[in-house]
Amino acid sequence: MATNELWTPERIPDPFAGVAKLLFDWIPLLLLVLGWEVVSGRAVSESVLPPPTAVAAATVDLFATGEVVPHLAVSLLRVGVGLSLSIVVGVLLGIGMSQSEAVENFFDVFLSLIYPLPKTALVPLALLWLGIGTKTAVLIVFLACLLPIVMNANNAAENVDRNLIRSARMMGTSDRRLFWKVVIPATIPEILTGIRQAIPFAFISLISAELIASEQGMGRLIRDAGSLGRYPAMFATIVIISAVAYTAVYGFEQVRERVLVWT
Amino acid sequence: MDGSIGISNLEKVYGEGTERTKAIDDLSFDIDGGEFVSVVGPSGCGKSTLLYIIAGFLDITDGTVSVDGTPIDGPGTDRGVVFQDYALFPWRTVKENVLYGLEEAGVPDEEADATAQRFIDMMDLSGFENKYPKELSGGMKQRVALARTLAYDPKILLMDEPFGALDQPLRETLQDQLIDIWGDLDKTVVFITHDVEEAVYLSERVMIMTRHPGTKKTVTEVDLDRSGPREDIVTSDEFTRKKNEVWRSLREETKSEVQP
Amino acid sequence: MDVDVRSLGASSIVDSLKSIYSLVLLLVLWEAVTRMGLIYPYFLPQLSVVIHEFVVLVSTGQMIHAAYLTLMRAFVGLAGAAVAGVAVGILCARNALFEWFFDPLIKIGYPVPVISLVPVFMLWFGIGDVSKIIMVAVGTFWPIAVNARDATRQVEQNLIRSARMMGTGDRRLLWRVILPAASPGIFTGLQIATPIALIITFVFEMVAGGGGLGALEIAGVRGFNSAQTYAVIFAIIAIGLVLDRLLRAARTRLLDWT
Repeated sequence: MATNELWTPERIPDPFAGVAKLLFDWIPLLLLVLGWEVVSGRAVSESVLPPPTAVAAATVDLFATGEVVPHLAVSLLRVGVGLSLSIVVGVLLGIGMSQSEAVENFFDVFLSLIYPLPKTALVPLALLWLGIGTKTAVLIVFLACLLPIVMNANNAAENVDRNLIRSARMMGTSDRRLFWKVVIPATIPEILTGIRQAIPFAFISLISAELIASEQGMGRLIRDAGSLGRYPAMFATIVIISAVAYTAVYGFEQVRERVLVWT
Repeated sequence: MDGSIGISNLEKVYGEGTERTKAIDDLSFDIDGGEFVSVVGPSGCGKSTLLYIIAGFLDITDGTVSVDGTPIDGPGTDRGVVFQDYALFPWRTVKENVLYGLEEAGVPDEEADATAQRFIDMMDLSGFENKYPKELSGGMKQRVALARTLAYDPKILLMDEPFGALDQPLRETLQDQLIDIWGDLDKTVVFITHDVEEAVYLSERVMIMTRHPGTKKTVTEVDLDRSGPREDIVTSDEFTRKKNEVWRSLREETKSEVQP
Repeated sequence: MDVDVRSLGASSIVDSLKSIYSLVLLLVLWEAVTRMGLIYPYFLPQLSVVIHEFVVLVSTGQMIHAAYLTLMRAFVGLAGAAVAGVAVGILCARNALFEWFFDPLIKIGYPVPVISLVPVFMLWFGIGDVSKIIMVAVGTFWPIAVNARDATRQVEQNLIRSARMMGTGDRRLLWRVILPAASPGIFTGLQIATPIALIITFVFEMVAGGGGLGALEIAGVRGFNSAQTYAVIFAIIAIGLVLDRLLRAARTRLLDWT
C-alpha cells in the first residue's frame, strides 16, 4: 500500500474546505428539490404537486400581502403559551412529586392515565369545553408537552446525587435553600431534555387543534388553502410552519448546549 | 499450519495530512508456532494496534504480516482474539456465544454442542450455560470469551490485555488456567499487557516496545520451569531476575518519554 | 420525537389503593356534581350516562368497528414505516452513499410537523383508508429510521470484529450481529412511533371522516351528544393503556438479554 499522500482533501485551505463540505452535504436536498421541479407539471399535474418555484413564490406572496402574518402570530402565541404553561406546571409537578408523597399519590394516577393517551384525541373534548379557537389549542399543546417535562423533572429530582445533598448540608445549607441551591440546578439538564422532547409534540398538537377546531392559525390556513384549491399557498404554509418548528428544535438545542456548558 | 507469525518492516500510520500519526514504525519480529509471546510497553506504544493488525482488523500501511508464511488478508478463523472488553454477544446465552464460531464453520449440531460443552466445562462455566452475559461477573465474561475463542480452534490466540479489568486473585487464577490451556492445546499466543509480572509469568519471550512511534525495543527470553505451583515460580531467582530486566527496560522507555 | 418510555415511578393503578384514591374521588365528584345539576350536561354528562353510552356503543358494535378501523389504519401504516424505516436507518449507518443521501433529508424531515400534511394527503390520495395509511407510514417513518440509524451506529466495533474473526461474511453480518445488536434501539423507535401513528389516525379521522374512533368522537361534539365523545375517550384511554403494556411486555419478552 502507498504511504505517500502528497495531495489529500485535507490539504485544501480550511474555509474553502468547510464551504465545499457544506455544499457536498446538501447536494441530496438540492437533488430532491430539482427532481420535484422537473417532475411537477410533467409527470404529475402542477395542481397536485406545485413546483418549488411556485411554492417559493407563494411563500413570498403570503408575507408580501400580509396574509400569513395574523395566522403565524396566533400560532406562535398558542404554541408559546401552551409550552410555557407546561414547563411551569411540569417542573413544579415533577419536582413536587419527588419531594412529597401526598402530591405523588394524588397526581400519579392521572399522569398514568394520560401518558399512553394520544393527546390529539382530547381535541374534541377541549372543543366541547372551550369552543373553537385559542383556548382549545393552548390546552392541547399544554397537555401534549406536560408529560415529557413532568417525567424528566421527576426522574431527575428523585435521582439527585445523595452526596451532593450531603456535602451541601455539611457546608451548612438549610432545607429550603437546599431546594433552590442544589435540587433545582441538579435537575436542570433533564428538565431541558424534557422540553426538547416536548417541542415536536407542541407543534403536532398545535397543528392538529388548528386543523380541527380553529378559525385562525397555520393549521387552519393549510386546510383553507387546500379546500380552496390554492395549492402553492398550502405547500408554502407547510414550509413556513416547518421552518418555525425546525428553528425551534435546533435553536433550543443550541441554547441547551450554552446553558449546560458545565455538564 | 503450525501457527507461526512473521512480521517484517511493519509500518502503521493513522489519519492523513496534518493529522498523520505514525503508530508503528519498522517493526520486525517472528513468532514460532506454539510459542507464548507477551508484548509490553507504555500506553500509547501501539501494542494493541499491533495485535489488531495481526488479527486483520486494521490495514497495514507498509511492510508485511504473514501467518504460516502467507500474508494476512483481513480476519480469519486461524486467529482468535480475546478482547479486553470481552465483546460477547449480549443477546446470546453463554452456550450460544461459545457455539457461534462452530455455527459459522458449519459444524453439525451435535458435534458443535459437545465441543461447546467441553470448553464450557474447561473454563469452569458449567451451570451457567443459559445465562446471558449481563448476568455474569467480569471474570466469568472473560472465561466465556476465552471458551468462545477456543471452541472454534484457531491456531493463534491474540489476547488484548484480557485480564486488565479484573482484580488480582482472579487474574492469577485465569493466568494459571491460561498456562494449562496453552500447554494442553498447543496454541501460539500473543499476549498484550502492561503488567510486567504477568508477562514474565506467562510467556517464553517478552517483547518490549517503544512509543511514538511504537517499535521493538528489546526481547527478553524467559526460560522458567513452570511445572511447579505459582508460589514456587514467582519466588524463584530466575523469575525475579527476568522481571527486573523487563522492568528496567520498560522504565527506560517511560523515563525517556518524560524527559525528551 | 424522542419520548422517554419509562414508567412514572412504581406503576400505579393496580398496585396500591393509595395511589388511586384521587381518581375515585374525581369520579364520585363527577357523578355528584352532574346529578345535582351544577354543570350543563352538554359539557359534562353524568358519569353513569357516559358509562351507559359506552355500553351501548360497544353492544351495537359501533365502537368495536370504529376501533377496528382506527387500529387497522394505524398498524398497517406503522408496519410499512417499520420495514422502510429500519432498512433506511441501517443502510444510513452502514453505507456511506446512503448516509450522504439520507442524512440531510432526515435532518430536515424529522422536525417537520407531519400532521400539517393531512390536507396534502387528502389532495393526493383522497380521504379513504389508503390515504390515512400512507399518512401514518410517512409520519412514523422518521422516528423509526432515526432510532434504527443511531442504534446501528452504536453497535460496538468489537462485536463486529468478533463475528468476522469467527468467519461471518458481509452478508450474514446483518442478520447475525447488526440486527440483534441494534434491536433494542429499533424497538425504542417502534415504541415512540406507536402513539404517533394513533395521533395521526385520530386527527385524519376527525378532519376527513370515514369512520374510526376519531370520527366517532368528533361526531359526538357536532351532534350535541357529548356522552358519545366521553365514551370514545374512555375507549381510547383503554386502548392506549393496553398498547403501552403490550409493548412493554413484548420488550421484556423479546429483549430479556438487555
